[in-house]
Amino acid sequence: MRVAIAEDSVLLREGLARLLSDAGFEVVAQCEDADELLRKANSHEMDAAIVDIRLPPTHNDEGLRAAIEIRDQHPSIGVLVLSQYVELGLAMRLLADSAEGVGYLLKDRISDIPEFVAAVERVAAGGSAIDPIIVSTLLSRRRSDDPLAELTPREHEVLELMATGSSNQGIADALVITLRAVEKYVSSIFGKLGLPSTGSESRRVLAVLLFLRS
Amino acid sequence: MAACAAPRNVRLQWAPRAPRPLLLWAVALAGLGAAGTSIALALTSDHVPEPGLQAALQTWITLPYVLGGLIAWWRRPGSRFGPLMVAAGFAMFASSLQWASAALPYTIGLAFDLVPAALFIHVFLAFPSGRLERRTERVVVAAAYSVAAGLQLLKMMLGGVGPDNLLAVVAEPAAANTVQDVQLVTLSALALTSVALLVARRRSSGRPLRRSITLLIDSFALALVMIAVLLLAGALELSAFETIRRVTFWTLGIAPVAFLIGLLDARLARSAVGDLVVELDADPRPADLRDALSRALGDPSLTLAYWLPEFESWADLDGHPVELPAHDESRARTLVDRDGVHLAVLVHNPSLSDEPERLDAVSAAAGIALENGRLHVELRARLAELKGSRGRVIEAGQHERQRLERNLHDGAQQRLIALSLELGVLRERLAGHPDAMSRLDRARGEIALSLEELRDLARGIHPAVVSGHGLGVALESLAAQAPVPVRLAVDLDARVQERIEVAAYYVVSESLANVGKHAEASSVSVDVARANGSLVVEVVDDGVGGADSERGSGLRGLADRVEALGGRLRVWTPRGGGTRVRADIPCA
Repeated sequence: MRVAIAEDSVLLREGLARLLSDAGFEVVAQCEDADELLRKANSHEMDAAIVDIRLPPTHNDEGLRAAIEIRDQHPSIGVLVLSQYVELGLAMRLLADSAEGVGYLLKDRISDIPEFVAAVERVAAGGSAIDPIIVSTLLSRRRSDDPLAELTPREHEVLELMATGSSNQGIADALVITLRAVEKYVSSIFGKLGLPSTGSESRRVLAVLLFLRS
Repeated sequence: MAACAAPRNVRLQWAPRAPRPLLLWAVALAGLGAAGTSIALALTSDHVPEPGLQAALQTWITLPYVLGGLIAWWRRPGSRFGPLMVAAGFAMFASSLQWASAALPYTIGLAFDLVPAALFIHVFLAFPSGRLERRTERVVVAAAYSVAAGLQLLKMMLGGVGPDNLLAVVAEPAAANTVQDVQLVTLSALALTSVALLVARRRSSGRPLRRSITLLIDSFALALVMIAVLLLAGALELSAFETIRRVTFWTLGIAPVAFLIGLLDARLARSAVGDLVVELDADPRPADLRDALSRALGDPSLTLAYWLPEFESWADLDGHPVELPAHDESRARTLVDRDGVHLAVLVHNPSLSDEPERLDAVSAAAGIALENGRLHVELRARLAELKGSRGRVIEAGQHERQRLERNLHDGAQQRLIALSLELGVLRERLAGHPDAMSRLDRARGEIALSLEELRDLARGIHPAVVSGHGLGVALESLAAQAPVPVRLAVDLDARVQERIEVAAYYVVSESLANVGKHAEASSVSVDVARANGSLVVEVVDDGVGGADSERGSGLRGLADRVEALGGRLRVWTPRGGGTRVRADIPCA
């Protein structure tokens, strides 16, 4: 898999590049700012771009805008946004109307190498990677009439993993249960929350997030 | 009417000195003596027809001009108009010397024959200051003097005006006649030009004049027209000349009478000052003081500015610095000074300069009120400065916080993440050493905790997400993390200035924190929208209300932040009725 990296800190950029190369990725571009990344996205074949949300020159929202632009211009390129703060509002802006090929993770997550590599692979393959902090923020949100109260603890765990973008197989591995059991839990959760069940694993991410947000 | 060339200073402490009474009396006596001499000359003359009538007409002009001029001089010592009138009276007397039977006075009188006409033009054009303000006026008057006096001497040297003319050098009566015709026609034209100048000046001033002043100007114009007609009649040797002369003299005598009526009326106009004093007694606000002065001066366009010595500038009634308008035909200024320093300035219609008494009296009456007004305005100016500096202090603080947050983000946080990444890589390499792996995991866990603390710290210093992504995005997380269900409505089509967004963010975050701590609420609504040039932030809960003082200290800080941006923070918190916090922050 081919990836590009946009990160203005040399230390992190080099560290990420080494980590990904070691994990078998081909790092096709290492960019210092958003413009460079956009140029490389136009000229290079790549499966995913890893983008720091704060990039020069103003360190405001250049990274986020570049990520959204790549999503528009190159739907085949997965975009994984890294940030030192995760904000629900930003996640929703980034996802907009689809969670396919989108990731939004706290920067700290890169140090858990197997998890991080799995997330990059998922995004590159058109899946999603949503930071657990976002999901737990949404889950812990106070509601006047809470439909989540009807879920069993196990279903709660499955919902949480589902919302971060895990595949059924990923959920099965994480909870050490069978794939069939996961499918059963998923359809039960959708039933209890009153959500129309959807075949695609990445489409259900957005459905769940939107449900939790409302 | 005439616009002064320089600001007319009302110096309440050292007004122009009035002429000494002795001088005035001496001139008055001289005037009476002159009138008496004229009468005597007429009655004893060997060449004056109807001497009684001539003497009466002569006195009718000489005495009013001399006496009226003296009164004007006494009442308005700063104006040269009085002395000019006196001079016109005496010139009239001098011209009457030609009635003398002796050669010398006759010659002198003859030399002065036409000088009064030039003087009258001068007097009428120089009203009210006694100075000729415009170039055209000066040219007209200079031309009148040279024609009336200069050509007169030439004419007399050419002879032909009687045997007693001592100045006759040759006897060329035909040439003398031609010179005389030139004189009469030119002077007549100059008189008519002066009428045109008077009319033009009156048009340009725009302000309706007091009736007595209108009367005065009309009498000037009429007198000038009559002079022009008389001189023309002389040139054309009309048979009606004598009649015209009588009418002209009679008209000329009216002008000083009209002037005296005007002076009297100016005193009456001071009753407006009386009203002013009554109004000022109520200690008016600066805007009311302006209105009161405007009424007392009869000038709706009046503006008032105060001198603020501390700021070394003029300030309007709100304490904002102002530039005084240029002193020209459309605006005139009257400075009001106290103890030799500026206090205030009245910027008014130039025609008010015709009524210096009124300006003096109004300025004097308003003295104390103007000083109060100045203090008031000075206070406002200082308040504005204070507000500005408070805004700057808060802004500087915010910049500093922003810089700190950036430093944390780009420095310690980045390094810790890189370190954690190194440890993660190391952990992968040590896959066969469970002991080392668990130690590395602990170390990574410590780093993760440090990063979390740093993140909280950085967020407390400056909400970077607000600067980076705007209020809507930042409030979404706040609402999601709030301890009670929040209904969030952000209705903004574009970003507003960052400092306003940050202030609004703090209003919401502090209010939501308060709700969690004290309100026992079951729901909160947060509304953010633009209305009437302001960003309006409203946080309403359905809790117990009655916010206590401890809760108030956080609100105090919020209020400071909002007020420093020119905004306003209000809190309604009736016991048992929920709490409503509303901030209105002006935004462009």
